[in-house]
Amino acid sequence: MTSFEDLQTFVDFAVDYAEDKTEGIVVHGIESSRSQIRFSQSAIDINKRWRELKLEIFLILKGAQIGSIEQSVSNKDEVRDAINTTLEFTKILPESQFFAGIEESVREYAPVRRVFDEKIDEFTVQAPEIVNSAIDAAVTKGAKRVAGALRFGRKQEYFRSSYGPEGTFKSTSFDLNVRAFQDELDYSGQGLHCGTMPTKDEERMVEAGAQAGRLSKEAIGAEQGEPGKYDLILSPTVAADIIAGVPGSANPFLILIGLSPLGDRMGEEIAPDFMTVTDHPHIAGALGSHRFDFEGTPTREVRIVENGILKSLVHNTTTAMMYETKSTGSSALQSISEGSKMLLPGNSNIVFEAGDHSFEELIDGNKPTIYVTCNWYTRFQNYQTGEFSTIPRDAMFLVKNGKMTPIKNLRISDNLMRMFANIEALGKDLKQILWWEVPTPTFVPYVRVSDCTMTAATQ
Amino acid sequence: MHVWCQKVENGKELAEYCIEKGCDLGASYVEARFEDSVSRGFVYRNGAPVSAGTQPESGIGVRMLVNGNMGFATFDRLDKEVAKQALSEAFKMAKNANRKDPIDFGEPISNKVEWEIDAKQPIEDIDTETIMTTAEEMNAAMSDLPQFTLMLSPAYSDKYIVTSEGTRITSRVSHIFSFALLTAKGEKGSEQKFLDMTQAGGWERIKEGNVMENLREEVELLQNAANEATAVKELLDGPIDMIVGPEVAGIIAHENVGHPSEGDRIKGREGAQAGESFWRDLELGKSRVGSDAVNVSEDPTIPNTGGFYLYDDEGVKARKRELIKEGIINEPLLNREFGQKFGKESNGAARSSKYNREPIIRMANTYFEPGDHSFDELVEDVKLGVYLKTFAEWNIDDRRYQSKYKGSVAYVIRDGEVTDEMVSRPVLETTSVGLLSAIDAVSKNLRFDFPGTCGKSDPMQGVPVYAGGGELRLREIRLGGVG
Repeated sequence: MTSFEDLQTFVDFAVDYAEDKTEGIVVHGIESSRSQIRFSQSAIDINKRWRELKLEIFLILKGAQIGSIEQSVSNKDEVRDAINTTLEFTKILPESQFFAGIEESVREYAPVRRVFDEKIDEFTVQAPEIVNSAIDAAVTKGAKRVAGALRFGRKQEYFRSSYGPEGTFKSTSFDLNVRAFQDELDYSGQGLHCGTMPTKDEERMVEAGAQAGRLSKEAIGAEQGEPGKYDLILSPTVAADIIAGVPGSANPFLILIGLSPLGDRMGEEIAPDFMTVTDHPHIAGALGSHRFDFEGTPTREVRIVENGILKSLVHNTTTAMMYETKSTGSSALQSISEGSKMLLPGNSNIVFEAGDHSFEELIDGNKPTIYVTCNWYTRFQNYQTGEFSTIPRDAMFLVKNGKMTPIKNLRISDNLMRMFANIEALGKDLKQILWWEVPTPTFVPYVRVSDCTMTAATQ
Repeated sequence: MHVWCQKVENGKELAEYCIEKGCDLGASYVEARFEDSVSRGFVYRNGAPVSAGTQPESGIGVRMLVNGNMGFATFDRLDKEVAKQALSEAFKMAKNANRKDPIDFGEPISNKVEWEIDAKQPIEDIDTETIMTTAEEMNAAMSDLPQFTLMLSPAYSDKYIVTSEGTRITSRVSHIFSFALLTAKGEKGSEQKFLDMTQAGGWERIKEGNVMENLREEVELLQNAANEATAVKELLDGPIDMIVGPEVAGIIAHENVGHPSEGDRIKGREGAQAGESFWRDLELGKSRVGSDAVNVSEDPTIPNTGGFYLYDDEGVKARKRELIKEGIINEPLLNREFGQKFGKESNGAARSSKYNREPIIRMANTYFEPGDHSFDELVEDVKLGVYLKTFAEWNIDDRRYQSKYKGSVAYVIRDGEVTDEMVSRPVLETTSVGLLSAIDAVSKNLRFDFPGTCGKSDPMQGVPVYAGGGELRLREIRLGGVG
């Protein structure tokens, strides 16, 4: 393992080397090791191991003439090469129209709890056994075939800005996705569990396997659903993909390039008054929690939707200046095309305020209702107006008089803003979701949405 | 020696060391892939620069078979100690996996070749000013729109694959990755389109691929749709005929045929991520999924295409695959592992998106084989129908059976002629078999109008692909999207 001192040496060398050649520079050094075990047909397919040490560099040559690079390094010569390459490339670039400055003051960073598992190395040894236990749990609950992936790892980070801020952070993470099948292709169920402390969550990983197995069994006999208008009960997994798309679009860059429906909605009521959603970087045990943003601004909670009103966007220094407000500590060096990175605002954890309904209360009602446990392949016709469709996968149920009957082959074809406004009730338990379809850690309960359009194949 | 050459030589040497180390640990098969790539990216919003950068990237990915279990180790620093540690860890994890059914790669393969994509003006020789001038021209082509974002990224990648069976393959590919997010606003509302214009080869592809002309046409058509397209009720009253353009034919070939033909999906390996395949319950060479007019192929060897390669990432020689012949499923896409599971050989479909991803079964260039009709012949006996030229929103279930394509630019066809009347967002929402069975003719105008980035696996691997076809005529289709 590379020592923290090595990481610090590379970062300090980069800042010191570039300081008198630039107006400013921020360098993050990140050293990580990650693993993944993938399985299908109830057996492990592959065991993967990644080892990386990278510097993420953002520099201001002059005014808004800016450059960036992400470079793996193993010695000071490579650090020097990375800086020289970036300087050489940047000097012929025009000024960016999307840069107006970065954090220039030194401030304290609040600690974030439960983000590092000291026993992560022990977990690496136990992981195949846990995978096999999750598979067994799925089979015990009725699955015939089980697939999935368990990913886990640790990373340490040191950053320094030529304007003064510097900081350290270390974290561990894991996410398990179990999908259970019957012999038939149509009957399947999913279980997810993710977090930061894998050695404390082994039982819940096995329970994710059991949930997948249970749902796959409950899906047996699913019949073709009828297209039409329904109230939908969205599991946290589905709500994190669809409903969290609204607070996830409260981002000035997305608005400015046409990928957000929130452009002219600030201050408007976009959801019922019991809806409050924040971007919250200080949640203990959350995968997106962090002490500082890329520029070195302390992270903080942002109340995006408060009592149904759109209240705030996430900002970095530049977008805050554009919108005449203050940075929310949400700056990230993001890849926006092959080869090009930019300082842009990004989410940490999206956190919904829980409601007060039990699952039984949520499914209770007289209107035609469908319970969707999982979805994938969400695509938009128009991001500004919000028309989209997505495909429920795994177990889906028609709910009638409290009784659930499995159905299949329907598509949610609706409007994101309409669905957000039509939320009728929220469950009382939040679940952290991060998986293939949900890249931003999201804490969300079960959600009931009225009058949604479900479509199906015409032939 | 030039610094870059030295790096490549060091990478090759370390890849060879990984073979030695993996064999010493006890692996029965070891494969090391060194990749070294450089991309330059330029992003503009409404014509104004947002960001630009240059991104070198290199590293090694190693696969090992340990008692029939697979291990994968990858690292970004060309350092023996790092390599040794990563390999030891992956070896240990693989050994503990205890598969009952050992993974088998079949007969050893030992190919020693060098290949590269055809590039008259190599990407690395193109200076930054030239790229920015082209970007300005592209921005000018979009300037009538109220919102547009351009991402232009020329990139090249060198690869060295070495295996314990004796394979040694050196290769180079280059792409001009190019995307535009277009927003048009007009009397009928706003329309958006995410346009992929990616070219493969040297800088000459900007001209040869008609990038500027195509961009101008797309902008004009999208603006027309925002100004003119309306819902046409009579199209929903009953079954109609539909003609789809090469872009829509391409996405259908990719989603409804290419993906379900992937051997790993059919056998369940992608179960928890990209899903399985309805081909699982069908019989190769016997099961009918479309009309006689449907012939869909896959071919990585077509020069200057997004999916071009001559040897795959397991060192297997690439060749054309005929996925569907006259409506019957014919051949799945296979790598070495799944070749064995199907009782066949690999047909060269193993690709990885970069050094730190495992090679898995992927498409390259997927297309409807051209038929013998002209476009006018397809249209001439359609009484009432839709010409679906391009699409925007789309999705398909994870067995690749229920798909939806929502029109972006579409016209009413009346009495054998494509009219000027634009239709707002017609929906083709069908099953794969329902869709492929409705095709009664394919035009002879083969075009790869759908460059794309195909996503699969976990962690996600996006690889460049092309897709296309001639125009397709579908009979008696009921428009969908109605709940």
